[in-house]
Amino acid sequence: MALHIVCCVKQVPDPETPPSQFRVDEAQKKVIPAPGIAPVPSQYDPIGVEAALRVRDALGDVKISVISMGPEAFRDAIKHCLAMGADEGYLIDDPALYEADHWVTAQVLAQAIKEKLSPFHLIIAGRQAVDWDMGVVGPTIAEILGLPCITIVKSVQVVDGKVRGERVLLDGFETVEAPLPAVVTVSNELGEPRYPQLRQIMMAARKQVTVWKAADLGLDVAQLKNRVNLEALYIPQVKVETEFIEGDTADEKVEKLLQRLREAKLI
Amino acid sequence: MAWEPKVASPRARLALTAAIYFSALVLAPLVAALAVLVARQGSAEATREVFFNIAKWARFVAYGATGVVLMVLAAGPLLRARLWLLGKGEVRWDRPWERAKVFFLYGLGQGRLPNDLYAGLMHLLIFWGWTYLFIGTLMLAFHDDIKEFLKGNVYLGYSLALDIAGLAATVGVLMALYRRYVWKHPKMRLGSLWDDGMLLALMLAILLSGFLVEGMRVGVTELRGETIDVGDGLVTDPDWAPWSPVGFLIGKAALAAGASQTLMLNIHKAFWWLHLPLALGWVAWVGYGKLSHILLGAANIFFRRLSPTGAALAGAALVPIEDFEKAERFGAGRLVDFTWKQLMDVDVCVRCGRCEAHCPAYNTGKELTPMGFLQDMKAYMGQVGPKMWAARWRGQSWDEERAVAGDVVSFNTIWDCLTCGACEQQCPFFIEHIQKLIDMRRYLVMEEARMPETAQATLMQLEQRGHPWRGTQLTRTSWIEELAAQGLQVPIFDGSQEYLYWVGCTGALVERNVQVTKAMARLLLQAGVSFGVLGAEEVCSGDPARRLGNEYLFQLQAQQNIETFKAKGVRKIVANCPHCFNVMKNEYPQLGGRFQVVHHTQLLAQLISEGRLRVQDMGELWGVMVTYHDPCYLARHNDVLAAPRQVIAATGAQLVEMGRHRKHTFCCGAGGGHMWVEESGGRRVNHVRTEEAASTPARLIAVACPFCLQMFEEGVGSVPTAAQKGMSVLDVAEMLERSVVRPEVRRQA
Repeated sequence: MALHIVCCVKQVPDPETPPSQFRVDEAQKKVIPAPGIAPVPSQYDPIGVEAALRVRDALGDVKISVISMGPEAFRDAIKHCLAMGADEGYLIDDPALYEADHWVTAQVLAQAIKEKLSPFHLIIAGRQAVDWDMGVVGPTIAEILGLPCITIVKSVQVVDGKVRGERVLLDGFETVEAPLPAVVTVSNELGEPRYPQLRQIMMAARKQVTVWKAADLGLDVAQLKNRVNLEALYIPQVKVETEFIEGDTADEKVEKLLQRLREAKLI
Repeated sequence: MAWEPKVASPRARLALTAAIYFSALVLAPLVAALAVLVARQGSAEATREVFFNIAKWARFVAYGATGVVLMVLAAGPLLRARLWLLGKGEVRWDRPWERAKVFFLYGLGQGRLPNDLYAGLMHLLIFWGWTYLFIGTLMLAFHDDIKEFLKGNVYLGYSLALDIAGLAATVGVLMALYRRYVWKHPKMRLGSLWDDGMLLALMLAILLSGFLVEGMRVGVTELRGETIDVGDGLVTDPDWAPWSPVGFLIGKAALAAGASQTLMLNIHKAFWWLHLPLALGWVAWVGYGKLSHILLGAANIFFRRLSPTGAALAGAALVPIEDFEKAERFGAGRLVDFTWKQLMDVDVCVRCGRCEAHCPAYNTGKELTPMGFLQDMKAYMGQVGPKMWAARWRGQSWDEERAVAGDVVSFNTIWDCLTCGACEQQCPFFIEHIQKLIDMRRYLVMEEARMPETAQATLMQLEQRGHPWRGTQLTRTSWIEELAAQGLQVPIFDGSQEYLYWVGCTGALVERNVQVTKAMARLLLQAGVSFGVLGAEEVCSGDPARRLGNEYLFQLQAQQNIETFKAKGVRKIVANCPHCFNVMKNEYPQLGGRFQVVHHTQLLAQLISEGRLRVQDMGELWGVMVTYHDPCYLARHNDVLAAPRQVIAATGAQLVEMGRHRKHTFCCGAGGGHMWVEESGGRRVNHVRTEEAASTPARLIAVACPFCLQMFEEGVGSVPTAAQKGMSVLDVAEMLERSVVRPEVRRQA
């Protein structure tokens, strides 16, 4: 039977937006999109699709679905993944969910995967989205669905009904195996996502992306409550103060410098 | 490996070109006319017996053999053409008059040969020597069989002219033998094949046997000391002998050595019978191997790509993919994906090595050699082509044994190319190297998604952000805001202005290049030019995507810009990036975007000549020695040579040229998308070029391209000889600004 991999992807404001163009609305606690700078697929998400494609390259009979939750613009990220070689694209576009936090997002994605994309064997997500950098949606989906989860891996293999992931640790690598179905989150150490071939780009352009509302998934939006409360959103002020330590001799300067550093409790 | 090719000076090239035309059009008739004038009255009867000392039936042997030989000759190109027709169709016979002109200048006139003085002279001697001998032989046949006209002074002039031709050809062949076997010129890197040596030996044998036959005839007839009858009632005169100077000397020598008349007649007969088959064999050979360049090279020049927009090289405007939906294959991966003309190109290459000698990739130790990849394709075509043709003839399908892109022609070879056009500029046959390599890139990128990592990152970046400068801290309007903060308003283009100033991604998004953009804007404002900029509405011109093989992305970007231009009523564009300039001038018309495009150096030169930009006397660059680096896409692809030099001259700076300059410039290393693609090995191209700049007395390098600017900025810091001199780099616009705009205004702005 064909293996079914579901990849979760997200569209984010371009992380390479020049700092001068990055603005937030502190009152509304929202990021103001930089004019003329298009959003891009979150860096780790196409790597997740790459991981799925490598599983397909190895095993052959694998179906890859891409799912995303967000406004219409997120379709671009899905199309990009379809152009890379994924088979089907799904978008949960419900204005009631535009303000969703990771908890609601994970709930909706988990519900969609369970209700609409079963049977599935593997869910792959990026280690984190590069806008908020929280890195919890993947593991939370696993928690909700009661699945094992391997986070931050640099390779994904499916062998004998098990998934094997090589986790990236600070001091090396750790190979973890889990029975299917499972959730895996991937890191950039996995390698560059493949460049879409033109024929696939053209095919992807013709492919339909299925769009759902929360209700289509049997979810009651009123029941979905954010657990994260955003207190304040602002661009941190970076202040640099320079103090020159004066002194007649090098020894004296060193003496004074040490004294200042001790005062500032830096040493 | 790499050696520095010496580029002949323009004066030397001109001299050789003049010599070619002089010899072709003037010299030979002049010699003949002189002979006629100078010849004495007494020689009115002068002529020679055509089949002297040879059986009368030899005539029929000669004609019969000639017929056979011509058939053998014709079979060669026909057999080869069969292989080219495996390729796709392509129209190469439009604008016949222009083609005829090109054919006359570069085919008969061999206009590309003087780039290599020795080889050019050598080829000139052989070509015209051989041509006159061939014409002479035809004249003789006419004289003998149709109407006798080689009589008296005409005959004497004819005899002298042919001896000179034979002598010239002999010198040429000896020069070739010396170059190939003694000098062992680096251009002969691929080594001599059996036919290289055989051919030269054959030609030498034909010439020497011819002279020997003449010498023996002169020795036993004209030189016998008195007027004598040699049969057929022809009475020869010793005074005629000097009109066959080589034969005269040989005959004299033979007589002096005491050769008997019988011996000389026997030698004459023997070598006559040797000369005939050798000469006919040579003619038959013209249909095959490298000698076929006489026919195919000439035909290839006739079929060259003609630019509808005045670009100098075929590679300046790549051929678009017309319909992506219907395209069977994107780009060229196998033989059948190339056009017949591309396969013909491959076939006519004679390994002369001129392309390789000037190729920046090859000369810095990369895998790419233009001659090498053509030869590899040629060998492969020779190997599988006949099988494919036979299968096609029988209506069967045939799978090519190997992929051309990535196998016959290696991955690195395809990606090393800087599209600088040096190869196309040099090739005497107008072989179009760049299109082939880009067609293979198209195949690798769009069909197989195989490319260097840095190329992939660049294409992704271009797709997602519309510009190639990943991680830039600037936006397309940053420089406008900065100038505004200093009190200079840069107008936004709204259709009312004369020029659209196209800033380009690099001019807006890279700190160093922004300085050039600002200098240009200040100059335009100072001169009162009516212009505007697009600001945030600019999208990459499409040049990097196209040169990196993503034709689809190129067309998207180009179309987007064309639509913006049309919507805003753009008619004239000034660009300070030669790549943007080239793509807009020569490639946008393919997609329906016809605008008048100039490079900023052209506009600046015009403003200077109109007196709208006045250079202060003794400005800060007065008398400063500067060397100018010609950008490939300006000088070679588009013939813009004078304008940047006029701007430099206007500043009062003193220009000293590098060895390789004008159309023979050496790429900075950033062409063909290589601004963002890591070099595959060898030395860095920009270091080699910076070294060349450092070897001039100049301490300032002038450039006219944003990529060259960056390449040299890196080079002057990394190349020891340049760093020791403390060399600096300026765009010509920056130079002009320093000489035109008052320092206090400049500091303030």
